[in-house]
Amino acid sequence: MEILKVEDLRFAYPGEKTDTLDKISFSVDAGEFICLCGPTGCGKSTLLRLLKKELQPRGDIRGRILFNDKDISEDEYDTSSAIGFVMQSPDEQIVTDTVWHELAFGLENIGMKREKIALKIAEIASYFGISSWYDKKVSELSGGQKQILNLAAVMVMSPDVLILDEPTSQLDPIAASDFIATVKKLNREFSLTVIITEHRLEDVIPISDRVMVLKQGEILCFGDPDDVVSKIRETSDLISAMPSAVQLYHAVGGKGKCPLDVRDGRNFIEKNFLPSSVSLPTDKYIHADDVALEMNKVFFRYSKQMPDVLDLMSLKVYSGETYFILGSNGSGKTTALGIASGIYTPYSGKVKVFGKNVRDYKNNSLYKNCLAYLPQDVETVFLENTVGEELKDAMEEARELPFDVDRLLSKHPYDLSGGEKQLVALAKVLSQKPQILLLDEPTKGIDAASKRRLAEIIKALKNRGITVVAVTHDVDFAAMTADRCGMFFRGRIVSENTTREFFSDNDFYTTAVNRMTRDYYSMAVTVSDCAELCMKNIREEGTVK
Amino acid sequence: MRTFKDSNPIAVTLYFLFVTGITMFLFDPILNGISFLGALIFSLVCGDGRDNKKHLLCLVLFVATALINPLVSHNGVTVLFFINDNPITLESLLYGCSNAFMLVSVLYWFSCFSCLMDSDKLLYVFGSFSPKAALVFSMALRYIPLFGDRSKKIRATQKTMGLYKDGNILDMIRGRVREFSIMTTWALEKGIITADSMSARGYGQGRRTRFTNFRFYLCDVILLILSSVLAVFVIMSAVKHDFVFYPAIVAPKMSLISVIGYVSYGVLVLIPTINEWKEEIRWRYLRSKI
Repeated sequence: MEILKVEDLRFAYPGEKTDTLDKISFSVDAGEFICLCGPTGCGKSTLLRLLKKELQPRGDIRGRILFNDKDISEDEYDTSSAIGFVMQSPDEQIVTDTVWHELAFGLENIGMKREKIALKIAEIASYFGISSWYDKKVSELSGGQKQILNLAAVMVMSPDVLILDEPTSQLDPIAASDFIATVKKLNREFSLTVIITEHRLEDVIPISDRVMVLKQGEILCFGDPDDVVSKIRETSDLISAMPSAVQLYHAVGGKGKCPLDVRDGRNFIEKNFLPSSVSLPTDKYIHADDVALEMNKVFFRYSKQMPDVLDLMSLKVYSGETYFILGSNGSGKTTALGIASGIYTPYSGKVKVFGKNVRDYKNNSLYKNCLAYLPQDVETVFLENTVGEELKDAMEEARELPFDVDRLLSKHPYDLSGGEKQLVALAKVLSQKPQILLLDEPTKGIDAASKRRLAEIIKALKNRGITVVAVTHDVDFAAMTADRCGMFFRGRIVSENTTREFFSDNDFYTTAVNRMTRDYYSMAVTVSDCAELCMKNIREEGTVK
Repeated sequence: MRTFKDSNPIAVTLYFLFVTGITMFLFDPILNGISFLGALIFSLVCGDGRDNKKHLLCLVLFVATALINPLVSHNGVTVLFFINDNPITLESLLYGCSNAFMLVSVLYWFSCFSCLMDSDKLLYVFGSFSPKAALVFSMALRYIPLFGDRSKKIRATQKTMGLYKDGNILDMIRGRVREFSIMTTWALEKGIITADSMSARGYGQGRRTRFTNFRFYLCDVILLILSSVLAVFVIMSAVKHDFVFYPAIVAPKMSLISVIGYVSYGVLVLIPTINEWKEEIRWRYLRSKI
């Protein structure tokens, strides 16, 4: 049954001559799982918001949007509970101070009776496993819990359609796949119609019924996932957002059915490639003699009563090296960077930057021509009202970055996309002319294309001799970028190695490509590694020639 | 198990209003004494009384209040001694003591109250007067930790951007101003998302209902009625007689009415303590059967 139908929808923001959306027509059946993808600025979010009456942006809307065969623009048609909408940022969507109140909020708004609310909340809290933190303050929750709460607070109103606008872009990969799994469960168990956009499609594409690709406000294609992903090979900006199996399929020029997840990808490899030459020649690990950043037996806690966040943490990063610290959320990675950058002082242990104790850098000399830090929330870097003012002293650095900064100069920094924000903030901290750059979750909230651009920038910085230390939980990004990686767990680095060895030694905390090629090829960590190996081992009887 | 602490917050709040109101506005040293004893016992029972610092502070406050009155007020007929040719009178000293009892016991009651209530309960009590105010209050409580967290992050980033010098006050002030301006921009910007999230969930589309986790059970109603009735007894009996300090102490004659008043107040201040004890005993008895 058709639940949502869009007919010849066009939309233009006020004052803009070109249409953001052009001739959009499609229909969605009840119970479908639709993945909407496209490069940043293609109109994904605008389209999603147009479907939700309460969130429709101001502008010129033409065409019709029918929900259950009724035009949603009709005044008396109330879709506030029938169409649920979950947005990107976990924090700002939460309205009230406690978990239970947040769950009740929507039901209070539609004037439901107290007893009925109590029942609904009890149901939803049990289903989502919220009961154990029902009484908590929302400020005590983790990012993943907050986003699950946002989902539950929408689901409590029993919507027929759930729209999700990049819901996991601020979450770590574990929380992100938990979240996607919950959405999948809702879709399968309640035949809830889901329309979702995402930056990271690794988990989403395999479970979608249909995939829609938008490009510059038009529908490029809309159909079965394996059909769509095999069509988009030209648009390379999109390819990097796809699951690793899809990327590999395209990299080796695959034909026939496109694999979507790790399991299919493994079958695809075994079917088409031999395991005869199993490893790539690796460069020997050499490092400079001088140490750029050294942490020696560092202990730190935020206050007397709290437990140690850093517990015997030691780290040595050599000059000119790119070092990634990986680990799960809340393990203290960010705190470790805070200590390295002199924001916090450890209660025991030494932190040295270029052989000099951080405490001995007086009057900001640490932050001039020496060390720069790009925080997780890049918005905290911005002080001015336009990007132009923001980059006044950093134009030189901004010009070197591989993106067109002039287009953004008159915009407010908060109006940029995630990727643009990241790059502008990076240009700004680079104007401190650092020798060592610290990055905290640099890939949080940015799309795949920006991620690839960022990896190129880090490589360019390395070529200029700049040491880069980053913390992340994005294993794919680390595999693409890092020289060495360290695994951070319970307040210290428990193992470290050069990137390839690091990921091929790990069983769970590793890239999808590595999981795909486990025990078949060794040291294949990135898509390009694997493609290179595959091309050496083509099976005669396979489909790849 | 429902102890006084778990009772309906409205009943608890009204109880505290009665007890402290009587202590503050019915000026009677005997009532003050009863109130003080009740507060002290309950603060020990509810676990709030283990804070020795608080007891010390109250003691200091008590002594100070009790002594300052005779030093500034020289009314009264019974002169004890002279300081700098100023008479120190017994009446004035006792008046000070009575005042001190009142002050300290109100302090103890309030500290017990804050020990029993949390923001959820307060919100429920205030929300009963205005649901709209309750929502605003709840949103404010949401924003306080969010803003605090945010300003910490901004400060850290600003520091690593080399914007502060060590120990330069001017720099620090400039930094705080900048921080404030970023915070404002950020709050306005993110406020839009919160507003979207509210309207997406149907806010402003009609009459809101109000959901709470609290209910009135029979024991809450009993508590409410009992404390109101006792409070009315105390007030009715207290307005019938006056305790006079100056120029000489004239205690009102003990009559049936005044005795009923004092006993009622005694019962009133002991309600929470008795309740805790009762539950404690019941719990032990029930546990012996587990």
